[in-house]
Amino acid sequence: MTALSVVFLAPLAVMLLGSLQRPLQPPPNGLDLWPDPAEWANFATVSRFMPLGGLLLNSLLLVVVAVPVTVVVTSMAGLAIVTARGAPRRWLVAVSVLMLLVPAAALWVPRVVLLRGLGLADTPVTVALLALAGTTPFYVLLFALAYSRIPATLLEAATLEGMSPFAVWRRVALPLARPAAVAVAALSGLYYWSTFMDPLTLVSSPDNWPVALGLRNLTEMEAALYPVHLAAAVLVTAPAVLVFGLAQRSFFSSVERS
Amino acid sequence: MRLTLFAIPALLVLSACADGAGADDSATAAITVQVGADPEEAAVYRGLVSAYREAGGGEVDLVTVTRDDHLTRLSTAFASGAAPDVFLVNYRQYAPFVQRGAVRPIGPLLSAAGVDTADYYEEPLRAFTYDGELQCMPQNISSLVVYWNRGLFAQAGVPAPAADWTWDEFVATAKALTGGGVRGVGMDPSIVRMAPFVWSNGGAIVDDDAAPDHTTLHEPPARAALQAVVDLIGTGATPDKEQLAAQGLPERFMTGKVAMFLSSRVEVPALREQRGLDFDVAALPVMGEPASVLHSDAYCVAAESENSAAAARFVAYAVGRQGQTLTALGGRTVPSLRSVATSPAFLSPTRAPASSQVFLDAIPHLRHTPVTPSWPEVEDVIGTQLERAFTEGVPLDEVLAEIRAQADPLLRR
Repeated sequence: MTALSVVFLAPLAVMLLGSLQRPLQPPPNGLDLWPDPAEWANFATVSRFMPLGGLLLNSLLLVVVAVPVTVVVTSMAGLAIVTARGAPRRWLVAVSVLMLLVPAAALWVPRVVLLRGLGLADTPVTVALLALAGTTPFYVLLFALAYSRIPATLLEAATLEGMSPFAVWRRVALPLARPAAVAVAALSGLYYWSTFMDPLTLVSSPDNWPVALGLRNLTEMEAALYPVHLAAAVLVTAPAVLVFGLAQRSFFSSVERS
Repeated sequence: MRLTLFAIPALLVLSACADGAGADDSATAAITVQVGADPEEAAVYRGLVSAYREAGGGEVDLVTVTRDDHLTRLSTAFASGAAPDVFLVNYRQYAPFVQRGAVRPIGPLLSAAGVDTADYYEEPLRAFTYDGELQCMPQNISSLVVYWNRGLFAQAGVPAPAADWTWDEFVATAKALTGGGVRGVGMDPSIVRMAPFVWSNGGAIVDDDAAPDHTTLHEPPARAALQAVVDLIGTGATPDKEQLAAQGLPERFMTGKVAMFLSSRVEVPALREQRGLDFDVAALPVMGEPASVLHSDAYCVAAESENSAAAARFVAYAVGRQGQTLTALGGRTVPSLRSVATSPAFLSPTRAPASSQVFLDAIPHLRHTPVTPSWPEVEDVIGTQLERAFTEGVPLDEVLAEIRAQADPLLRR
């Protein structure tokens, strides 16, 4: 377990150490790990290349809006699949799998046309509109799988008790699929924090871009300024790592309890 | 608006304000400008935009993305009817946009904005002329040159490259510089790097530059030029595949592991920032006739722009005296405006490379690769195949046959 975590932590460590190297030096031969002295000013320099504060706020807004919507939409859609019977059920699963196979690039143009037509193509939360469609059918299938472990009689009994479909979802199904909800929240949170292709094609003004796209624009930085690029990467990664650190206890407890 | 295509009733309600401000074709209407640039270059364009604003120009919403993302974003934007008013594009990549009717020919717009194209070098204007009309306005006239490390030359006791050095002298220099962890020269396996040698040796890339039907790299003069490069690689004077995988060519040059490399003006800002690196530029070696290849980007106005007058006004400023001086000082461009190219903003000997004049001396024998819609794909094919010959030791004739088989159908398409 320790060895495994070393493997996964190594890239983070390289990024952190690299961000403290002094910029404008000749590129090192091989991996020059230990910064001497540590160049903390790199973190301040980042703001000369991108408006970090504004972009971080955009990303925060995006995640705060998109994640709950994704969880609600996909958990409802998953329940619809499980409560359907026979042909409709197979059909819904088939459609979800088929949609998974559509390459992302094929959706860029239709999405831009649709969002521009609606006048919604230039806000910080434009990308969050994807959450209304569940972000990806994979999350829907994930919920369907989780719900399929609930005895069908339980859901049927709830309906016979006179509960509305909404109440069945809210009071019976969702509480029993809490690990799936946590997983979808974590996966979609990471997705919306790190996506740059969606905002690149969807969002018109750079002021409304999320921080991941700002970071993406630093990737072609010349070699001598790589420490600044890595400092930006640390600043963009830190919130995600921090949230994971805070949430991991409830994450694992919810998985274990199931 | 294309809204009617998506007549989803519930969403229609939301779209009431979708149309935004109507067309405002005054010369100071707000426009969007998209450029593909690395972060330092992006800073130069931001400076250009704020200078334009201070000079009384209109609002400019500048979108800078990486070079990789530039064409992706442009293609998506054009396909969905959301194109920027102005975009900067290389002459090797603009033809598909013209073919799709995405570009508004800029000639008449610029005349109206008071630009006289006679003040500019002709070669880039020719490269951006398609269907008999000037489509986009070039901002630079860069070309392929040899970057050389003065320190390593002195150390090896090798004389500086002469202005009219021959290919044989070039090979001898590269060999003399090789040794002790240093390789003599590096060059990318791409057609923009090889084209000048093909032309210099009396060869051609395609049968007809204006309307290409097939590639001609397999014909004797072109083949001989490519064979000369393969022979140079065979001497061990170039970095090998593993070395290049570990560190790119510009970085190897910066750190003194390669004494010469071939590139355009684009490397200058990064090389200037390397403390202790003493470098200069030299003309390309000559196989037969002197030749070099044009590198040029131009400002295009989108056909669907509702603010073409304002767009033209911005382009006129960017390629005008002030705009060109600003970008020349950034170090990356060779100005397309003659009066700025010959001014200290570009030629000042106090900032490396001392011999910037080399770029201007190359202008009389500059040529450009064919301008045809399928060119970006043809270039990919040739690059992939040349790489096999240069780094994997695949016989040249096998590679040339593969280029004919793959690239010719693309040209005829």
